[in-house]
Amino acid sequence: MTESPLWPLVVYFFAVIALVLIILGLSSLVGPRSTMQRATIEPFESGVVGIGSSQIPISVEFYLIAMFFVIFDLETVYIFAWAVAFFELGLFGYLAISVFILILVVALIYEWKSGALDWGVKKRVGLRE
Amino acid sequence: MSGLQLQALLPIITLSSLILIQMMFIAFARNLRLTVSISVIALLLTALSFFPMVDHLPISATPLIQLDGFALFYSGLVLLGALMVTFLSYDYLRDQGERQDEFFMLLLLSCLGALILVSSNHFASFILGLELLGVSLYTMMSYPTRGLFTLEAALKYLILSGVSSAFILFGAALIYAIEGKLGFTELAGMNHTSAASGQFILLMGSTMIFAGIMFKLSLAPFHLWTPDVYDGAPAPVTAFLATVSKGAIFALALRLFTTTGLIDLDPLLRGLSFVAMVSILAGNLLALLQDNVKRILAYSSIAHMGYLAVAFVVAGKAGGQIMAMEAASYFLFAYFLTTLLAFSVVTIMSIADHEVDTTNLGDYEGLFWRRPALAAVFTATLLSLAGIPLTAGFIGKFYIFSIGVAAEAWLLMAFVVIGSGIGIFYYLRIIFAMTKAPRTDVKIEIPTASGWVAVVLTVSLVLFGVYPSPIIDLIGELMISFG
Amino acid sequence: MYDLIWLLPILPLLSFCILFATGGNLAPRWVTMLGVGSIGIAALIVGVIAWFWLTTGMREPYLYSLGPWMNVAGFTPTFGFYLDGLSLTMLMVVTGVGFLIHVYSSLFMADDLDFSRFFAYMNLFVSAMLVLVLADNLLLLYLGWEGVGLCSYLLVGFWHAKPANGAAARKAFIITRIGDTAMALGLFLLFMHLGTLEIQPMLATASATWQTGDSIPTIAALLLLGGAVGKSAQLPLQTWLPDAMAGPTPVSALIHAATMVTAGVYLIARTHELYLLAPMAQATVAIVGVATLLIAAFTALAQHDIKRILAYSTISQIGYMFLALGVGAWSSAIFHLMTHAFFKALLFLGAGAVIFSLHHEHDIFKMGGLRKKLPVAFWSFLIGSAALTALPFTSGFYSKDAILLAAFEHNPWLYAGGLLGALLTAIYSFRLVFLVFFGDVKTEPSAPAGPRMAVPLIILCFFSVVGGWIHIPVDEVFPVVAGPSHEGPVALITPLIPIVGVLLAYFLFLRRSLDFSGFFGSGLGRNLKAFFFSHWGMDWLYDKVFVVPYTAVARLNQSDAVDLVYEGVANLTSIFHSLIAFTQTGQLRWYAATMVAGLVLLIAIVMGIV
Repeated sequence: MTESPLWPLVVYFFAVIALVLIILGLSSLVGPRSTMQRATIEPFESGVVGIGSSQIPISVEFYLIAMFFVIFDLETVYIFAWAVAFFELGLFGYLAISVFILILVVALIYEWKSGALDWGVKKRVGLRE
Repeated sequence: MSGLQLQALLPIITLSSLILIQMMFIAFARNLRLTVSISVIALLLTALSFFPMVDHLPISATPLIQLDGFALFYSGLVLLGALMVTFLSYDYLRDQGERQDEFFMLLLLSCLGALILVSSNHFASFILGLELLGVSLYTMMSYPTRGLFTLEAALKYLILSGVSSAFILFGAALIYAIEGKLGFTELAGMNHTSAASGQFILLMGSTMIFAGIMFKLSLAPFHLWTPDVYDGAPAPVTAFLATVSKGAIFALALRLFTTTGLIDLDPLLRGLSFVAMVSILAGNLLALLQDNVKRILAYSSIAHMGYLAVAFVVAGKAGGQIMAMEAASYFLFAYFLTTLLAFSVVTIMSIADHEVDTTNLGDYEGLFWRRPALAAVFTATLLSLAGIPLTAGFIGKFYIFSIGVAAEAWLLMAFVVIGSGIGIFYYLRIIFAMTKAPRTDVKIEIPTASGWVAVVLTVSLVLFGVYPSPIIDLIGELMISFG
Repeated sequence: MYDLIWLLPILPLLSFCILFATGGNLAPRWVTMLGVGSIGIAALIVGVIAWFWLTTGMREPYLYSLGPWMNVAGFTPTFGFYLDGLSLTMLMVVTGVGFLIHVYSSLFMADDLDFSRFFAYMNLFVSAMLVLVLADNLLLLYLGWEGVGLCSYLLVGFWHAKPANGAAARKAFIITRIGDTAMALGLFLLFMHLGTLEIQPMLATASATWQTGDSIPTIAALLLLGGAVGKSAQLPLQTWLPDAMAGPTPVSALIHAATMVTAGVYLIARTHELYLLAPMAQATVAIVGVATLLIAAFTALAQHDIKRILAYSTISQIGYMFLALGVGAWSSAIFHLMTHAFFKALLFLGAGAVIFSLHHEHDIFKMGGLRKKLPVAFWSFLIGSAALTALPFTSGFYSKDAILLAAFEHNPWLYAGGLLGALLTAIYSFRLVFLVFFGDVKTEPSAPAGPRMAVPLIILCFFSVVGGWIHIPVDEVFPVVAGPSHEGPVALITPLIPIVGVLLAYFLFLRRSLDFSGFFGSGLGRNLKAFFFSHWGMDWLYDKVFVVPYTAVARLNQSDAVDLVYEGVANLTSIFHSLIAFTQTGQLRWYAATMVAGLVLLIAIVMGIV
């Protein structure tokens, strides 16, 4: 089965590991050792000094909407694929995509009813206060 | 698409539409009892929807789905497991506040994924089922807010599953690159047709698919996630993961490798033997001094999957595939019963404690004095896991052993024996802990639904341990219509 | 008619089961009814069977088959009960004497808290003894043999609250086990060579297969003898019997005087054809008998404890039976077995009555002058001792006389030993009588025991006197030996010696006209006395030779050397566990990395690189 010799692969494997080790090792050996100074921990050693924290609160709804966007966007891709081949797929394709869209509609209704689409004021049912 | 083919899709259609209905009910009339009732009805209806086609097996509905006796058996197991987990989860989640309904929807979705997996005959449906099963499972794991590590478990499982899915996809891609086909049946005998370089890539691809499946089955060396996830996940979800998820994936693996003929490839079997041996050894050794009951069960499941892999290897080696598949199926059946029962005991114990799951061995001390019936049930389970006669676990292990001996796979058998020997130690450790003097005399309430689950499973465990022939006959009958 | 014998072991067994199952919750009245009644019915059945046997001509051996026990690889032992003259004689002794002792016990043990347990064990014993006696198969006999051993153990240690009793029980059990092991080996040997253990066919085959003096039958006979000396407390396994006196007195009477200890005699008599093939083994039997009877008789002379004297006397008397077996006087041995059962049971029960009235006082030097106070006990003792001493016209006279004459025919030295033993027997027996019943009252007895204790004593007195006129129906069982028909000095000396012994005892212990206190006060005399008292130092010797080295070895091996292997395996497993447990870091990146590494490894294996 193994007429083509395997050892080059093995050599290659180890060569990759060796290369990585050499680069890391050399850089830690040869590279300059910086002592800890105030400037060392700053994002930029020169230029504008940053002001404030980068960790500002972003509303959770933002992520929720982003997720919905991804999901529905992806589903649009499926519908697009069907639309391209609309005539080839015929009635069966039409029925299939109807079912697909129906499921999407149900999911949308569910999201709506659960209050997932509300922004700001919590109208969501059944949330623990 | 003929009527018969449509019929073959009936279970999937039934379950899907009931999930949608349940979703609407949750949206408009949120009520936990109602939701759970719909879940139970959905599972029962799905089971019923298999019956009309029993006489017409096997049916291929589209290239993706192949319904045969094999799929039927495993679908039954999946539905049984899902039903039991539904009951357990109901008790587990009932007093955990509102908005628990979605959990049961996810459970049904997961179950749908498992059903697709067991009857899948194509890489596309394979991946589809796998992801449906997996994605719902991650959410189920992190759904209950109790417990400290649910989120950690879910994340670990999610990310590592991603790695394994990558393996599978890459493997499938390699095979497609050589053969240009993705259906299992079409791929049959592929190893005979290709040139040497193609063979090499094919082997590589199959190994990668294998590795992905091994991860899901928690076979060594892809097992490291198991204890963390078992421990972190809520007890009923762990039960689902250990039984339905693993069972469905095992069924798929069995179908994939027998239908495509990959199982006859010696190099693959060599790898699989290695995996089986390492799993048996690693699982049993890791469980040895463990003090966490859920982790012990996790390690024990690693070892059990190792035993199951032995059946797989033997199926390839001896050519006695039907026999090996019977053995594996019975073993898996026994494993289902036993594991579900073990986790139902853990669930019952955990419900009493509202903060976290009761997993510490110390919490089980004196159970014989506090709740003799529960302790007796747990003892039966552990004995079954250890493979002590008069339990289903014994018949399962005996089955594995007999095919192993028939195939003269002595090395594998040696590992099975050593593993079983080590196993008895830690199973007995739990039993001994239960006989110690109790630390508290707080009464353990047994919830109704979970209690009945435990009763039904215990009865079956002992019944099929003493009188296994009905199940063995059933399996034998169903396996005939395989392929 | 004879098929009733299957009932015999069942009845006491049934009673045992009931008593055992009720676990002491039964009223004493019912316990008595069951425990004594079951033996009574058995005795009745034996009586009827014996009546038939003796009056009608039906003296053919009768076999009641119980069917095969198991069927393993051609080994199909069939069990059955075998009735012939020998087993009938034994049946009469076991059920008859057994019944009387049970009646006696119902009063003797009345105050005991474990009354029910006592009768349960006693019934189990009788059942096992009857199995032993009736067995047609050496395997079944062995079952009974071990059964009586077990009951002996349970009953010796009956008052288990006292540790010494437990120790005595263990000693009895362990020492007899040594003999039992030899016997088991003998059974294996016989089975290997003859292919069956059914006694009659086996003996027939043995006679047909082997020549007299062959080595195999000799070894087999010696091994069986090993079992017999263990059970019958003969040299060198006799040391357990005196300690076994720790049990209740009725137990001593039933098990350690009348029945169980004579099982060895029965075994040799039952397999006498084998001994006929092995003259060497038979001679060993005789020598063992004589040596035992002398050693035990000397020891009995020096004892203080009333029951220990009787115990040594039992050992000594069974020595006579062995002597009889050894010289081929089979029926005399069984005859002496029967008379001994009567008078020794009588003596023990009499001793029990004395002990009962003296609040469990065992020391004969603290007794005295009981002749008037306890007349029934006195007369029992007098008659029992007379029979034991073999004074003319008592039952013991007929049986012992026959043995001694047969011994003389065989070998004068054996005869001399037996004769010396007879003299000693007379001295120690009447020493006991004189010290306990004559002289000054030393301990005031309570009222004598009631009729339930007195009546069995009186009945046994009767049999101790007239037992000698019973003709035991063993003529068909044993080869006919020419009856000892001596007219010469031997026939005269033999009955005379016991009388001399009694006179000696009279002068020594009652009149005290013969005084050896000077001698026994001196160093040599004291040592000699201590030597005899300690049963010739045999317990000491066994302790030093066997027990001490054994416990030393056991202590040395306290942490079992063999266990080290298993501990090693366990430790190795634990080490592997801790090694492999390092992989469970809980870190996701490590898990993902191992997955990739695992895949690489797997591919390497599949590709055949590793």
